[in-house]
Amino acid sequence: MNLFYKIITFKPSFGLRIVTGLVGIVLSLATCGIVGLTDMVAAQLKTNDESFEGRLTEAGAKVYFEQCARCHGLQGKGADGAAPAISSVAFLGTKTTPSQRLKDIGWIGTLEGYIEAVTASGIPIKSSQVWEQNHPPFSQRFGGPLRDDQIRNVTKFVANWKQKPFTDGVVDAPKPGAGSGPQPTPIPLGPKENAGLEVFKGAGGCTACHAIRGIATGAVGPTLNKLASTAEKRVTQADYKAAGGKATDAAGYIRESILAPNTYVVPDCPQGACASGVMTANLDKILKPEELENLIAYLVTLR
Amino acid sequence: MAIIGQKLVSQIRETGWKATVAQRTDDAFTRFTAGLTWDDVRGILRGDPPAKPNPRVKPHTEGFWFHIRPTFYHEAVTTLYPTFRLGYLSALFFLIETITGMFLMIFYTPSPERAFTNMIDILTNVPFGSFMRDLHRLGAEAMVVVVTLHMWRTYITGSYKKPRQFTWFTGVILLIITMFLSFSGYLLPWDQLAFWAVTIGTSMADAAPLVGREVNLLLRGAPDIGAGGLLRFYLFHVLLFPLIGVVFLGVHYYKVVRWGLSLPPEMEAIGEDTARKVDQTKRVMFMPDIITNEIMYAAVAMAILAVSSATWYTAPLETHSNPQVTPLHTVAPWYFYWLQGLIKIPHILPFPDSLNMINKPVDDLFALVGLTPKMLWGIVVPPIIIVLLFAIPYIDPNPSRRYKDRKIAIGLAVAFELLILYLSLGGIPTGVPGTGFGYVGGNPVVEVAQEFIPDEGESEVKAIPFDELIVGKYPLANDPAIDEHKAPHLREIVRAIYADMEHRKHTADPLGKKMPEEAEGDVQVKLLQEDLKEFIITIRYIDENQSPQTFSKNAYIHKNSDYR
Repeated sequence: MNLFYKIITFKPSFGLRIVTGLVGIVLSLATCGIVGLTDMVAAQLKTNDESFEGRLTEAGAKVYFEQCARCHGLQGKGADGAAPAISSVAFLGTKTTPSQRLKDIGWIGTLEGYIEAVTASGIPIKSSQVWEQNHPPFSQRFGGPLRDDQIRNVTKFVANWKQKPFTDGVVDAPKPGAGSGPQPTPIPLGPKENAGLEVFKGAGGCTACHAIRGIATGAVGPTLNKLASTAEKRVTQADYKAAGGKATDAAGYIRESILAPNTYVVPDCPQGACASGVMTANLDKILKPEELENLIAYLVTLR
Repeated sequence: MAIIGQKLVSQIRETGWKATVAQRTDDAFTRFTAGLTWDDVRGILRGDPPAKPNPRVKPHTEGFWFHIRPTFYHEAVTTLYPTFRLGYLSALFFLIETITGMFLMIFYTPSPERAFTNMIDILTNVPFGSFMRDLHRLGAEAMVVVVTLHMWRTYITGSYKKPRQFTWFTGVILLIITMFLSFSGYLLPWDQLAFWAVTIGTSMADAAPLVGREVNLLLRGAPDIGAGGLLRFYLFHVLLFPLIGVVFLGVHYYKVVRWGLSLPPEMEAIGEDTARKVDQTKRVMFMPDIITNEIMYAAVAMAILAVSSATWYTAPLETHSNPQVTPLHTVAPWYFYWLQGLIKIPHILPFPDSLNMINKPVDDLFALVGLTPKMLWGIVVPPIIIVLLFAIPYIDPNPSRRYKDRKIAIGLAVAFELLILYLSLGGIPTGVPGTGFGYVGGNPVVEVAQEFIPDEGESEVKAIPFDELIVGKYPLANDPAIDEHKAPHLREIVRAIYADMEHRKHTADPLGKKMPEEAEGDVQVKLLQEDLKEFIITIRYIDENQSPQTFSKNAYIHKNSDYR
C-alpha cells in the first residue's frame, strides 16, 4: 500500500520528463516509419490485398453453392442442355487469356467483367440454341435475389476456376457456330415413339419434374436430353452393378429406372448426393403396359 | 513596403546588420511563442528559476491556447494521484480520434454500395490505412475506458461536490457523448458486426412506449437500417456528436479552470474556492513544469497506442452486412453488455427462479398496466440510472469529501460497479459462470459447430494453415487418423471438436440441455478449386423424438486468406 502510494505520488524530475517524453515521441514516430516501410516497401498492402481477395472468394463460394450450383453443378461442370461448364478454361478461359468463345461472341471486356455482367443482368436475348433457357438476372438491380457485393464475390469465385477442358461429355466448348446456326434436326419419330411422347407429356406426368429440350422444363429430376447415351454408359459402371442393377442395355436401364427408381441413385446431383425416393415408384399402376412400352420406346431415342 | 524597407535600412545603419538580424529573429520568435524570448525559452529548457516579474506567464495573457490553461497548478495535484490525468487523457483521445477520423474520412463513402468496399480499399490500397483504422478503433475503445475511469475517480475522491457540481453534470453529458460517438462509428464499416450491433442497439429505442417507433424511424431513416440509416449514423458520428462534444468540452474545461483541479480530499473543504488562493510556495508554474509533464503523458499514451496498433491489435472487419442473415450470438459493443444483461432479467423483481411463487403474481400484476419485465429493465431503468448519475452532486447530503466520512457512498459505488460487471457478464451469450444468468444457447449440436466455425468473427478452423488441410474424411475421435507431423493443427482441431462434444454429453448447459449420448460425427476436407478448400463438420444424432438427425456446418478456406 505504501509502495502504491509512493508510485502514485511520484514526482518525475524535469530531466526525466524530457527524456520520457522524447522516448515516447521517438517511439511513436519510429512506429509510423516502420508501418510506412512495411506498407510501401515490404509490400504489406499487396499481402493484405491477396488476403482479402481470398476472403471475398470464400464469400463468393457460399453464394455459388446457394444460388448457382443447382444448374452449374458442384464442380462447375454444368448440366447438359441446362447450363454450361463454367469451370472449364475452354468455356471462359483464364484472367489473362479469355477463351476463343468469348472472342467469338464479341466480348471485348475482361473475363471478370463478362462473368459479373452475365451474373448480374442475365443474358437478355435468346442468342443460342444450345441452352434450354437464358441465364436469368441475379442482381437485385435487375430483379434477382443478390446484392451487388455478392455478385462481385461470386464472380471472384468463378474466375478462380482454372480447370482443363473436360473430356467426359459435358458441354464446355460448344461447337463453332452452335450459337447462331440452325437448330439441330430432330430425329424423326415413328408412331410408337410419338405415342410415347404423348404419354410423357400427358398420362405419365413426367414433365412436372423432367426437362427435355423443346418439350419440357421440369427442374426436380434430371434433364433427359441425352438419356439413352447416359443409360448405355451407366449399365457398364461397376457401382451400378454393385447397387443391384440388372439392365444390360439402354432400354432395360430406362425400364428399371421407371419401375424400380431406387435401385440405383446417381451420386452426383448438383447439390451433392441425389436423394433416394424422389422419383414416383408406382408408374406401373398408373400407366397401361402398352403406354409404358411406348414411353420407353420414345425415351430410347434421346441421344 | 517602402516604409518597412526604410526602417530596416535605418536600423542596419544604426546597429549593424548582425544585431539587426538577431533582434528581428528574436522578435519573430517572441511573436510565435506569444511573449517568450529565446533567452526565456532557453532558461526554461535548462531548468533555470524564472526572473522577476516572471516572463513565463506572458503566453497566458497573450496567446489563446495558453490563455485557456491556468498559469499554475497547486503542488498537490501535479502527481498521478489524485487525478491520474484521466481528464487530460480523455481530451487527448478526442484529439487523436479527430485526426485519425479525418484521415479515414478521406477514403470513406457513407453508402451501402460503397462503404464495405471502401473499408477493404483502406486496408489493401491506402498506405497507413490499416494503421490509422486500428488507431481510430483502439483509441475509441480506450477513450470509453478512460472517460469512464475519469468519472469513477471523480466520484471516489468526491470531487463532484460544491462548487464543482456543474462540472460533473457536463461530464456526464460528455460520457454519454463518448459512448454515442463510439456506438455511431460502429455502423460505418457496414459489415455484419456493424449492422447487427446497431440493429440491436436501435431496436431498444423501438421498444419505448409512445415515441419508440418514431425515434427509431428518425434514427434509422426507415423501418430497417439501410442507406438512410447509414448516412444518418455517419452524420451523427462526424458532425452532430463531435459538435456537442466540443461545446460541452469547452464548458467542462472552463469549469475545471475556474474552480481549479480538486485537491486531495483531506486538503480541501467543501465549497472552498481553492483555485484562486494558492500559497506562493505551493504553486507549480504551468511553464515549464506542467507543460512538460503533459507532453510526457501525451507522448507515452501515444506511443502505447501506436505500438499496440502496429503490433497486437487489429480492428475487426467481418463479412459484408446481410440483413437477411443474423449471425448466431450477436452482441452489442462491450460497453453496452450491461444493457443487454439488464434486458435478460426475466421478471419485474430480480429474484431467482426458485422464488417464482413471488415473481409470477408480481409480473401478472404489472402486466395489467402494460409493464413487462423487458420494458422495465430495458426502457425504464437505464434512463433512471442516467438521471441518477446527473443528480449525484445535487442529492448527495454528505458535507465531507474525506474517504473515512464517505464509507456509504464509496460502498454504494463498489456495489454498483459489481452489479454492472455481473450484468455485463450476463449480457454475453455465455452468461454469468456458475449462475447461468444470461446464458443463450440452442441445440448443443449447433453450439459445438458454432464454437469451431462461428457465423462471424475469429475461427480456429479458418486459422488452420492451408497446406495442413489434407483432403479426406476424418471421424471425430480422440486419436484421429491424421499424421501428427504433417497436419498438427488439423489434428488438434478434430480432437478438440471431439472433446467438446464429449464434454457436452456429460455436462448439461445452464438450460439443462445435453448433447445426445450416441452423437458422433466427422470432419471432411474437400478441394473445391486448386486454392480453395471446404471444411465441413457433420454431427449425426438421435433427437428427442427418436428420429435420426444430421447437422453440418462448413467453412470455405482460401489459400491466401490468412486469418491470424
